[in-house]
Amino acid sequence: MTTEPNGFKWVGSRPDRPDGIPKVTGTAQYAADFYLPGALYGKVLRSPHAHARIVSLDTSKAAALPGVKAVMTGADLPDHPFAYLGPDRMQVNFWHVTRNIIAREKTMYHGHAVAAVAATSDAIARQAIALIEVEYEVLPHVIDVDDAMAEGAPLLFDDMITRGVEPAPTTPSNVAKRVGFEIGNVDDGFAAADHVIEESYKTAAIHQGYIEPQACQALWQQHKSEIWTCTQGHFAVRNLTAKLCGISVGDIKVTASEIGGGFGGKTVVYLEPLALTLSRLSGSPVRMKMSREECFQATGPTSGSSMTVKIGFNNDGKIIAAQSILAYQAGAFPGSPVMNGCMCSFAPYDIEHQRTVGYDVVSNRPKAAAYRAPGSPISAFAVESTFDIAAKQLGMDPLLFRKMNAATPGTQMVYGPKLAHGGYVETIDALLEHPAYKIPLGPNQGRGVASGYWFNGAGDSAATIAVNPDGSVTVATGSPDIGGSRASMAMMAAETLGIDFNLIKANVADTEAVPFNHVTGGSRVTYATGMAVIQGCNKVIDDMRGRAATIWDVEVEGVIWEDGHAKPASSNVGEFEPLSFAEIAAKFAVTGGPIGATGALNASGQAPGFSTQFCDVEVDPDTGRVEILRYIAAQDCGRAIHPSYVEGQIQGGVVQGIGWALNEEYVYDDKGCLSNGGFLDYRVPVTSDVPMIEAVLVEVPNPNHPFGVKGVGEVGICPPMAAIANAVANATGRRMPDLPISPPKLLAAMDDKTRSTVEL
Amino acid sequence: MTVHVVLSTGSSSEFTNGEKEFDIEARNVRGVIKVLDAKFPGFGEFLEAETMVAIDGELFEDGLYQPLRDGCELFFLPKLEAG
Repeated sequence: MTTEPNGFKWVGSRPDRPDGIPKVTGTAQYAADFYLPGALYGKVLRSPHAHARIVSLDTSKAAALPGVKAVMTGADLPDHPFAYLGPDRMQVNFWHVTRNIIAREKTMYHGHAVAAVAATSDAIARQAIALIEVEYEVLPHVIDVDDAMAEGAPLLFDDMITRGVEPAPTTPSNVAKRVGFEIGNVDDGFAAADHVIEESYKTAAIHQGYIEPQACQALWQQHKSEIWTCTQGHFAVRNLTAKLCGISVGDIKVTASEIGGGFGGKTVVYLEPLALTLSRLSGSPVRMKMSREECFQATGPTSGSSMTVKIGFNNDGKIIAAQSILAYQAGAFPGSPVMNGCMCSFAPYDIEHQRTVGYDVVSNRPKAAAYRAPGSPISAFAVESTFDIAAKQLGMDPLLFRKMNAATPGTQMVYGPKLAHGGYVETIDALLEHPAYKIPLGPNQGRGVASGYWFNGAGDSAATIAVNPDGSVTVATGSPDIGGSRASMAMMAAETLGIDFNLIKANVADTEAVPFNHVTGGSRVTYATGMAVIQGCNKVIDDMRGRAATIWDVEVEGVIWEDGHAKPASSNVGEFEPLSFAEIAAKFAVTGGPIGATGALNASGQAPGFSTQFCDVEVDPDTGRVEILRYIAAQDCGRAIHPSYVEGQIQGGVVQGIGWALNEEYVYDDKGCLSNGGFLDYRVPVTSDVPMIEAVLVEVPNPNHPFGVKGVGEVGICPPMAAIANAVANATGRRMPDLPISPPKLLAAMDDKTRSTVEL
Repeated sequence: MTVHVVLSTGSSSEFTNGEKEFDIEARNVRGVIKVLDAKFPGFGEFLEAETMVAIDGELFEDGLYQPLRDGCELFFLPKLEAG
């Protein structure tokens, strides 16, 4: 193995991905592939109404159908007190959660679970669902976020008083919460600025669009239940299911399957508490899986929004003051990522006076769930569109405008601390120096620029390192691999231990095999679980040094670890041939027994991610179709452990952003029912829709990680919507403030003679 | 040593009557939390369970025993939602 240009042997190289062969040969085990003998088919009855009171619910005919082994309703799960628990940005109210899993008093959205059955065949389960009799009192509904906030809107909760407002409102509304951050004196800033721009924007709620729908199998047994499921966090599934089913965390073991995409949408539970309850009621294992339509109807999209951004700036391009007012859809229960949207709004920029206010708004849609950098891409669309207008107004290059205002270490962030890490300016410079940025464009073509910010996570992770007698190593973590973590864990272990990557097998272990791991999300796993792996490997090295010292009969301080070998620290220790990792492993039985260690920590010191992107588009003046001609994305990744996976993360984020910008939206009919719950009508980009996306890896290492890692999974989705909208504005002279920029909307804007000839 | 402590929006008002900035004598974050808990009973438990800390901009999710330098800035922030 040669040494990489960065001085490492494995970090920064591109070995074959360990999950490749199982995936392409079909042997990878996804959640629906798990099958226990005698497993029943679970099926959910879903609400046909957007908002309705359940007057009566009669399951007797379904229960009497031959082959039906269990029928459940909300009454089969314990209720919970009304209380918001946990930190602001991730608060959970189990009174809401249990009602989202399965309705009790009311159905809150089209597709909301009402009852569930388990039967000996899928056909019988479907028959049984049809036999359940529900009397609904249909209630007025509201879908759009602005409509939900309007005076006189139908209320989802008669007693919801907006939190975060002082004094508290005296009347209920659909606004669950108000949040806000402020630095400087924003009003004075606007007054002092040479120019002030204020624009309003809307974005559609969109789904994560993972290819594998939710699926699980559950086996209830007294004190030793088991669940197999596709999830971004099987420890979270264990904890949530135990809470919702009213049993001990220690009584459930959860195994994570291979996962066909998650993007944040698989950090919560939907089917697992139902499957476990049906298993308890029937005495048999129960398998459940959602159809694509059920995924769209009942699992969390990210929020749609309505936003207003105002900036004040001087003739030289310096932004003096900025304000964002953000209203995010939470879905039918409180909990949108609007606080993240507030905190990220202007995070890439050094602006003296800032105010950002957010509203968490309920409406009759599925409860929002996390989606790649939750909240940040939404506000980035509004902010980066407005910045583009400002740059044009001044006649400045949009990259240079951003560079002039870029945040650098020491910049005051609106949410409190000063920025500790750089990386943003470097992404701008990477695009300024990119030859494609200077390529001339033709008729109906335009170039757009935008940037984005994401905090990146860290937190609780653990890993066990087991050394095998032949010198191979098993690395087990509790972090489901959604973006290449098995490869990166093995590579960091190889680098730390000084052995061949191919000797290391990294696994995702079940909840009883490794200590707790927080979910795979927040771009935290390569950083935090990687640190747990490195910690465990260093313990193994210490152990092996001790064993070498025993073999040589010297003090352990006289043994160093170098290049995968124990060596005498100096000639004073004695003349000994180095002992290789494999040689020490082979002697495990006579030197103290099995060799292994656990690394476990609450990782800190993570650095945020910055991304700057530009794209070139061509708009068909006859159809309004936008073709992406070229797309370049520069992202600070700290140090890429496996560059191919990092490039894949960036490309994936951009593709999802292209869909968000151009096509994806939920279409509801006048009854509040979802009309496009399938990939034929809800259009995500396919390969033929996108060009080869060039990922430019900018490496500004994080000094707090042994290999310089920064999270890379999320920030890439923040800039595309604004980059594309800015490019469309340059191509057509039409500023499109509402997503998606679908062909009919763009065509109507281009044909609108009441609008000015060229808009900024 | 004296450290400057700032509570971000959302973590302060219900416990501190809107007071957001403090100068506190403490050697580590645990010491800061003890002082704040003594001043606002129950606040310490909230800070331990529901916030992460930033010390001169660096984020620490396990900040309890992080050492502090004289004159440093310490922020209590809401924890992060995963995506």
